[in-house]
Amino acid sequence: MGFFLSTALKDVRRRLADPIALALWIGIPALIGGLMSLAMGGDGGTPKARVLLVDQDDTFLSGLLASGGGPLAEFIEVETVGLEEGRERIDDGDGTALLILPAGFVEAVLKEEPATLQLVVNPSQRILPSIVQQFLEALVDGTFYLQRLLGEQLRELAEGPLDGASFFGDAKLAELSMSINQRMKSLESTLFPPVIKLEEVLDDPPEEQESFNFALLMLPGIIFMSLLFVAQGVSEDVWQEKNMGTLRRMISTPQSVAAFLAGKVAAGSLIALAVSAMGIGVAMTMHEVPFVLIPVMLLWCTFFGAAAVIFFTLIQVLASNERGGNVLTMVVLFPLMMIGGCFFPFEAMPNWMASVGKWTPNGLAVLRLKDLLNGQFSAAALGSAVLGIGLPAALAFLLAVRRLRGSFVIA
Amino acid sequence: MIELTSLRKEYGDLVAVDGVEFAAQAGEIFGLLGPNGAGKSTTIGCISGLLQPTAGRVRVLGHDIVADAVAAKQLLGIVPQELALYEDLSARENLAYWGGAYGLRGAELRGRVDTVLETIGLLDRAKEPVKKYSGGMKRRLNFGCGVIHEPKVLLLDEPTVGVDPQSRVRLLDLVRAQAESGTCVLYTTHYMEEAQDLCDRLAIMDNGKIIALGTLEELRGELDERDLLRLTGTFDAQRTRAALAGVDEAEVVHVDETSLMISMPDAWSKLPAVFGALAAADADVRATTMTQPSLETLFIKLTGRELRE
Repeated sequence: MGFFLSTALKDVRRRLADPIALALWIGIPALIGGLMSLAMGGDGGTPKARVLLVDQDDTFLSGLLASGGGPLAEFIEVETVGLEEGRERIDDGDGTALLILPAGFVEAVLKEEPATLQLVVNPSQRILPSIVQQFLEALVDGTFYLQRLLGEQLRELAEGPLDGASFFGDAKLAELSMSINQRMKSLESTLFPPVIKLEEVLDDPPEEQESFNFALLMLPGIIFMSLLFVAQGVSEDVWQEKNMGTLRRMISTPQSVAAFLAGKVAAGSLIALAVSAMGIGVAMTMHEVPFVLIPVMLLWCTFFGAAAVIFFTLIQVLASNERGGNVLTMVVLFPLMMIGGCFFPFEAMPNWMASVGKWTPNGLAVLRLKDLLNGQFSAAALGSAVLGIGLPAALAFLLAVRRLRGSFVIA
Repeated sequence: MIELTSLRKEYGDLVAVDGVEFAAQAGEIFGLLGPNGAGKSTTIGCISGLLQPTAGRVRVLGHDIVADAVAAKQLLGIVPQELALYEDLSARENLAYWGGAYGLRGAELRGRVDTVLETIGLLDRAKEPVKKYSGGMKRRLNFGCGVIHEPKVLLLDEPTVGVDPQSRVRLLDLVRAQAESGTCVLYTTHYMEEAQDLCDRLAIMDNGKIIALGTLEELRGELDERDLLRLTGTFDAQRTRAALAGVDEAEVVHVDETSLMISMPDAWSKLPAVFGALAAADADVRATTMTQPSLETLFIKLTGRELRE
């Protein structure tokens, strides 16, 4: 135990003596994440979808739609444009979507006649068009139910006064108001509060929760990108120990190679803990992070950091020389980061890539951290992820020890 | 104190160490001398537990280095050829780390670190990172890390390679001090002068085997006080050998088209006879060097090669 701790302490001291490497391990992922957030239209705040609306209907109700995104105004900005301008701008990638409200649309809806909305999305954006699409689907659903409840009244309002007057008379308006009021009252006992109480029980919590803050979407990936860089950097140390002769000196002492390697992994884990704490601290400034789950998040990130150090160390000791070891670890590192949700969030990936990436060690780690950041703690999900990463890591540790004790040191 | 029995180490078809046997006692400096590739470092590797012997045994105070590795290693101290130090750490931190690796803790460890720092002359710079040290200081610290736990047997693998003369003298003094304190020192080198000055007994290795073993006097005795004449020029090997056969006690160690080595007692007085014989053999001599009996001449006599070849 003493040698394990002194090895860990020794390695931490050596790392602290090289602050530039430490800064790079954190700085490079932060830079990549920052650039990605900017490229995706985020400045760290909430990105807005810009909808170019072509209002060919030009009615009071269509005008309401043109006035903003309603309850999602925080995420959707609506700009009324002409058809030609709209098409040109969406072709130029200026805007998230082009929505065309055809002439007679509102009337058709009120009369329960078929109506078509045309939505053209910007293919260069991935998340924001989905938001617009979902919002529009919700709007169509809402319109359907509104029509079912108050269709008669709305039709009267849309058709206008039967006597050809410009405005409804007071009596007619009062009648319509009464009618709407009575309909709402009849539904009051159902709607306020609802007679049906929906209790949501999640057997398997959803793997992901859509968050509209792109920087927050990126953050778990950035944390694990940093941890992968830390692990790769720490793993290179076996070559330094070999080249310096300290590995040979260590093997000639009565201590075990396993304690030596465990000490190195522990040092890597401490760095991982510090990096994770920074990352989660940043998350706390962007999002309401559940306080009680912070220790779990830190443990999870540190556990992943330790496992990654072991995996990369095994790759290093299997290589025939230092250069080969570094190339091999890089060959593993970058695809893992790209597919495992570190460079791009899963939400921004094609489905097939995301479904593969979620099974990579860092993909699994990113998903669990996102759950925790969103306040979802599932011991079963976390436990299976610990086993999924921990068992291969334990095997890799044994193989690395065997190799360190054998041909690696004398080759 | 340390005993090697029929030690053999093979790498595939290559036999790096072939039946090496010797024993060294407490307070003795035992030298292992030989050219590069002779098998010295492989022998040290087997003794230190770094390499698994193919056959044979290494025992340190009776503890087998393979079967009872922990006990045997606890008694060993290693000073490797390379500077096995952490350059980002200070001398004190390096010594504390390696002391900890041998089980030293707390006040005992701190006390030993201070003692060793004083012995190697680095007490006043103990807190500086090693990377700021001169080469000689690093060498001394490398030595200090090997003796931090007061080993019973100290292995030094060519510790003076690339060291300036002043640091070398200081390092050799430290080695002598260890032996005087009762430590058995096993010292490998390819510097003959160093081995002659330092070692009580010597084993000369070549091609994985010990080709001579004994005290310096015993080894010199094998040379019969014969000098070594080295001549360069143009020689006909057959005619040269025939001509020199007539010179009293001259033994041709080596001859080829451009060089000739002759072993003979009192060579200085026999130079006229040698040159006369060579002239008769139509040899063209351009340079002549005479070396008095030494480990180098013994090595040449035993192998027909220079030690540094």
